[in-house]
Amino acid sequence: MTSQHDTKNSCQPDVSRRSFLKTGLGGAVFLSTVSLSAGLTGCATAPAGRVSAVDSRMDTRYQFQFLSRDDIALFEALLPAMFAGALPEEPNQRRFAIAGTIERIDQGIVKFGPANQQELRKLFDLLNFAPTRIALARVWSDWPSVSTADADAFLRRWRDSRIGLLNNGYIALTKISNVAFYGHEDHWHLSGYPGPPAWMVDALPQFNPAA
Amino acid sequence: MSMNDPIARGLAAGWNVTDASKLSENRTVEADVVVIGTGAGGGTTAEILARQGLSVILVEEGRLYYQKDFKMDELTSYANLYQEGMSRVTADGAIAILQGRCVGGSTTVNWTSSFRTPDETLTYWSQELGLEGLAPDAMAPWFEGREQRHNMAPWETPPNLNNDILRQGCEKLGYSWQVIPRNVKGCWNSGYCGVGCPTNAKQGALLTTIPGALDHKAQLFHGLRAERLVMSQDRIDHLLASAMGPDGVTPSGIMVTLKARQFVVAASAIGSPGLLLRSQLPDPYQRVGKRSFIHPVNATVARMPAKIDPFYGAPQSIYSDEFNFKAGTDGPAGYKLEVPPLHPAMAAGVVPGHGQPQRDNLGQLPWMQSVIALLRDGFHPDSPGGTVSLRDDGSPVLDYPITDYLWQGLRKAYLTMAEIQFAAGAEAVQAMHLDSDWYTTWNQARDAINNLPMKPHRARLFTAHQMGGCSMGTDPKTSVVNGFGEHHHIANLNIHDASIFPTSIGANPQLSVYALAARNSSRLAQRLANSA
Repeated sequence: MTSQHDTKNSCQPDVSRRSFLKTGLGGAVFLSTVSLSAGLTGCATAPAGRVSAVDSRMDTRYQFQFLSRDDIALFEALLPAMFAGALPEEPNQRRFAIAGTIERIDQGIVKFGPANQQELRKLFDLLNFAPTRIALARVWSDWPSVSTADADAFLRRWRDSRIGLLNNGYIALTKISNVAFYGHEDHWHLSGYPGPPAWMVDALPQFNPAA
Repeated sequence: MSMNDPIARGLAAGWNVTDASKLSENRTVEADVVVIGTGAGGGTTAEILARQGLSVILVEEGRLYYQKDFKMDELTSYANLYQEGMSRVTADGAIAILQGRCVGGSTTVNWTSSFRTPDETLTYWSQELGLEGLAPDAMAPWFEGREQRHNMAPWETPPNLNNDILRQGCEKLGYSWQVIPRNVKGCWNSGYCGVGCPTNAKQGALLTTIPGALDHKAQLFHGLRAERLVMSQDRIDHLLASAMGPDGVTPSGIMVTLKARQFVVAASAIGSPGLLLRSQLPDPYQRVGKRSFIHPVNATVARMPAKIDPFYGAPQSIYSDEFNFKAGTDGPAGYKLEVPPLHPAMAAGVVPGHGQPQRDNLGQLPWMQSVIALLRDGFHPDSPGGTVSLRDDGSPVLDYPITDYLWQGLRKAYLTMAEIQFAAGAEAVQAMHLDSDWYTTWNQARDAINNLPMKPHRARLFTAHQMGGCSMGTDPKTSVVNGFGEHHHIANLNIHDASIFPTSIGANPQLSVYALAARNSSRLAQRLANSA
């Protein structure tokens, strides 16, 4: 699985295969088949599989089924902005919370099924491919070097854009992240949700299989 | 597992249930009737036909989940029990689609609201669309029968505060409100209907008609996707279906061929047109997939001075029809007002935002109250609905353009909901819209909402009710099936789900589906008995 990472620099999308979709506003373009050509060349969009604990703080037992190394880097850059004020301050806990959220994003996407996976593949690829990242997201450096302030500025730009397609990208990114983060037991306290009532958990057979 | 659970007990007693992910080779099976889909329509059909002594096979793409799996956890439930892992949206992504994908279909995850089809809707169908057999008087016994079967009755426990705010606001403003009938038996009033009822109180298809059918020797395949109905001359000869692998979403490559003399499609208003289109069945007037309706939903949230705890208690118990038919059945867009439950993942997915503002918003969840408006689409000429078509991979997708007529209704609904929340004492109200701030007075909210851009993506829209796409009618030029769900062009094909509704309902549709499926299945049973 690590070989995917090692060779990713050689996997540039084939520029000649790109197709352009005009959105009708200011000549902005959407590279609809970056993902297809990148996928055909093999590597950058392959699921990351198991990721080394050393460089990512990921749970090495977790097997990524959809997110690629580049996608993981994208979320590592976005989530500190996405959850400003909500992530733990302590560095290790913070990395752990981010990594766990990215794993749950991956788990969720697996159940989305092929059609919506393909939509997300397009979205992530255009955010990971430098020319489209610069043209559409106005993010000038690779995601690992993007500051939290710059990631926040990017999210605001897409939220406030007059281009519906970019609003939709904002909704897609925030929705899958928000659900994976705030929806998880570790973060219920942030929304004041006490969880399923203890008296029900005590009384119900599905929580007490031996009974 | 507790043997008090009827599903566990039935499986132990030898119900004929096959998990298609466990199949290791292709196979062919045969019955009198193959029913595709196990939701409100499919379950009802299977039980009625099986009780008549017909051999029935039920086919369900989702998996069989029951009490042992219902652990009040949002993330696993949304991933496993909902279509596309809760990520289903319309073609342009502007409307989120909540729809079940499991044995019992959406009835396994709905919020138990059980309304008869409004008289206004039935009158419109019978008088304007020529469906005379569906007049209110003719349908009343079918509603009554299904109300008994599913234990539907107005909720007698006091509403939770989330719902009571809607009542209080309506009272203050002189708007009508009523108590919602629910299909529950021994309900614990816990609030987890949407993630699979943990206590077996909900009387959806999973605990009523499906066990009823299985007790009468029906066979159930779950994790099996209906791919194509295959014709031989002028009849459906068999259904070709593909087994899902253990993950429930990836086909394993195993195929099952299902032969029968009668086929009933009940795969939902998105799934049924999808199956008919994939099968390339006769459709001379290109009606399949057209006129799809969704009760477009928008929402406001309020911050209340008192704790609401919107995650606990029966999720829906109060509604208002003040604005539903006020301007006439086919006047400006009417809407039904209800309340949604707010658990953290649902709230975080529905409330758009990021960063500190999002954290602050969600931090108020225990004090948050929400109202939703369900627009009654499909009655006015400027509300022609959407279209279901196939993606390249054969999966169905709904394109639903929002017309100016609907945008006007949505803006009016935002206004009504904010007005009601302020009348009930809200400290602040926010429209679920990318351009909405928190408003602290009704005057401020009214001025701001009147200036919100009504545009896709900026207004956050949802649907939990998919209807139409295989419309019933008397004229084959404008419909797919007749008033009994019988296909206009194929003698041994019926459609028994919400896809046959010629308009939206104007109320949560489960009882409409149950009742129509019961009526049409009784007729089908008689026909099959006569031809045996």
